[in-house]
Amino acid sequence: MTALLPQVLINGLIVGAIYGLLGLSLTIVYGAMRVANLAHGDLVVAGSFIAFVMTTQQGQSPMLSMLVAFIGVAAIGGLIYSLALRRLQNSPEPEIASFLFFYGVSLMTGAALLFIFGADTRSVLFQFDPISFRFADVIVSHARILALAIGIAIVAGIFFVLYRTIYGKALRAAIMNREALLVVGVNIDRLSLVAFAVSFGVIGLTGVLIGLVFPAFHPFSGLEFTIIAFIVVVLGGLGHPVGAVVGGIIFGLCEQVTALYLGQSLGMIVGFLVLIVIILIKPDGLFGRASWNA
Amino acid sequence: MSGVTPARHALRQDAVSSPAVIGELRGVSAAYFGDIHVLQGLDLTFNAGRVAGIIGPNGAGKSTVLKTFFGLLRPLEGDVLLNGQSVARTPSHAMAAMGVAYLPQGRSLFLDLTVEDNLLLGCWPIRSHRRAVRSAVQRALDIFPSLHDARRQSAGSLSGGQRRFLELARALLLEPKLLLLDEPTAMIAPRFAAEVYAMIRSIANEGVAVVLVDQNIRPCVEVSDHIYVLELGRKTAEGTAQDLQTDDALRDVIAGWLEVRGG
Ligand SMILES: Nc1ncnc2c1ncn2[C@@H]1O[C@H](COP(=O)(O)OP(=O)(O)O)[C@@H](O)[C@H]1O
Ligand SMILES: [Mg+2]
Repeated sequence: MTALLPQVLINGLIVGAIYGLLGLSLTIVYGAMRVANLAHGDLVVAGSFIAFVMTTQQGQSPMLSMLVAFIGVAAIGGLIYSLALRRLQNSPEPEIASFLFFYGVSLMTGAALLFIFGADTRSVLFQFDPISFRFADVIVSHARILALAIGIAIVAGIFFVLYRTIYGKALRAAIMNREALLVVGVNIDRLSLVAFAVSFGVIGLTGVLIGLVFPAFHPFSGLEFTIIAFIVVVLGGLGHPVGAVVGGIIFGLCEQVTALYLGQSLGMIVGFLVLIVIILIKPDGLFGRASWNA
Repeated sequence: MSGVTPARHALRQDAVSSPAVIGELRGVSAAYFGDIHVLQGLDLTFNAGRVAGIIGPNGAGKSTVLKTFFGLLRPLEGDVLLNGQSVARTPSHAMAAMGVAYLPQGRSLFLDLTVEDNLLLGCWPIRSHRRAVRSAVQRALDIFPSLHDARRQSAGSLSGGQRRFLELARALLLEPKLLLLDEPTAMIAPRFAAEVYAMIRSIANEGVAVVLVDQNIRPCVEVSDHIYVLELGRKTAEGTAQDLQTDDALRDVIAGWLEVRGG
């Protein structure tokens, strides 16, 4: 079985990178807007279904699917922000209110997917050429390489925006001191709307990557991804972007290695164990609570 | 920044021609909740090149005056004017671009960002002009050498006095026409406070209308050209610094609320 280890490590890395991306969008929405997005996984699956329609049904390329999923889910995010977010944030208990609201969005998204696509499991099918790549003893599918490359590019892009542009700096500043942001002339509402929509776009795009990496999904796969995203975020430190990515990779590796030695069904459980152990040692997660340092 | 004592610059009632009016509150009433009026029919005028000092006991509404001017609070009655135009309905985030800089009471820095990034965010209204941003930040760092040395450190690592200089540097980046300062020398060492007052004077001398809310009556009066005394949201007295020394009624007012505060 040790011969399989390199293969599993690569897969763990790929899955982990996607989990990291999953956590990253969750943590940005949480960090900048104090919103716990319980519908995270369901919107990811919505992205996967967009990929299903685009590739399996329409024969379009995964790249085009990513663009469509990004725009589609970003539009949902923009709509949610415009309709509900200000009201949620002004409520006396913004965190509870947003928790319940997004639980509703989660149920609605799952139900809508069930209504449109039925309860069957679906897959993203696309004829890649070549179908896989071989590196020494390790074989990795073309789809997974693409997902990894796009995942890395998106993560790098997000970090560039967050830490190197005035927009990202303003977003990080929003969590530090909202009033001061008004003082320097930032229209916080508009900044938040854009950040929210872009984060949702990334959620949709992540769904396409998940469709490429995992064999199948169905309308109620969302909860699992929501749980993984929350684990990853807590593992790395709430609201901490770097923490989310590192947390994702740790979780992905644990899950894949466990699946190899102990069987598929134990993968997630070991992930939880790792979370519990890390939280016992470092209650604020690996990178501590969000400070969004440069 | 030269350790000049503010007293030497004080009392500029020598001007013959009347200076341009930059900001005005006309009959302004404001409230945080319902109809509990924190400001009641206030008339205040802020002139170019002049320091307008606002003094008064705790809770008099001094900070509220600045918040109302900056659009953080909507006036229930009356009007707020900037260069003769009403800004009563202008959102706060638009004020910076209109030449109004505001230093709120308490912290207004982004403590986890670097000194340089704090300055960068101060250039938000001109963010699309990258060269102008760069030169504005560079100018600020030139004026404040201690900030230049600390430009890559987080703002949170600065001392209280240096933080205040960073706030001032950021407020001055876009060369405002009106500068609203809420207790700029609170909680900082006296040596820094003297520098801040000297800076306030020289900022006004450059033509900026400065509004100075201050608990420290003596230095505030010394640096101000015109003093407003606020009590319970009303203007109970006003006059030049000289009036304050000579006008018995005005002296009594201040002595009165100093006693209240002391007792
Ligand atoms: N955010 C707020 N919400 C409600 N009431 C406030 C708020 N800020 C100030 N007040 C009240 O408004 C009055 C004036 O406050 P303020 O302008 O801060 O006074 P000052 O700056 O002169 O000490 C006080 O009675 C204060 O309790
Ligand atoms: Mg005050």
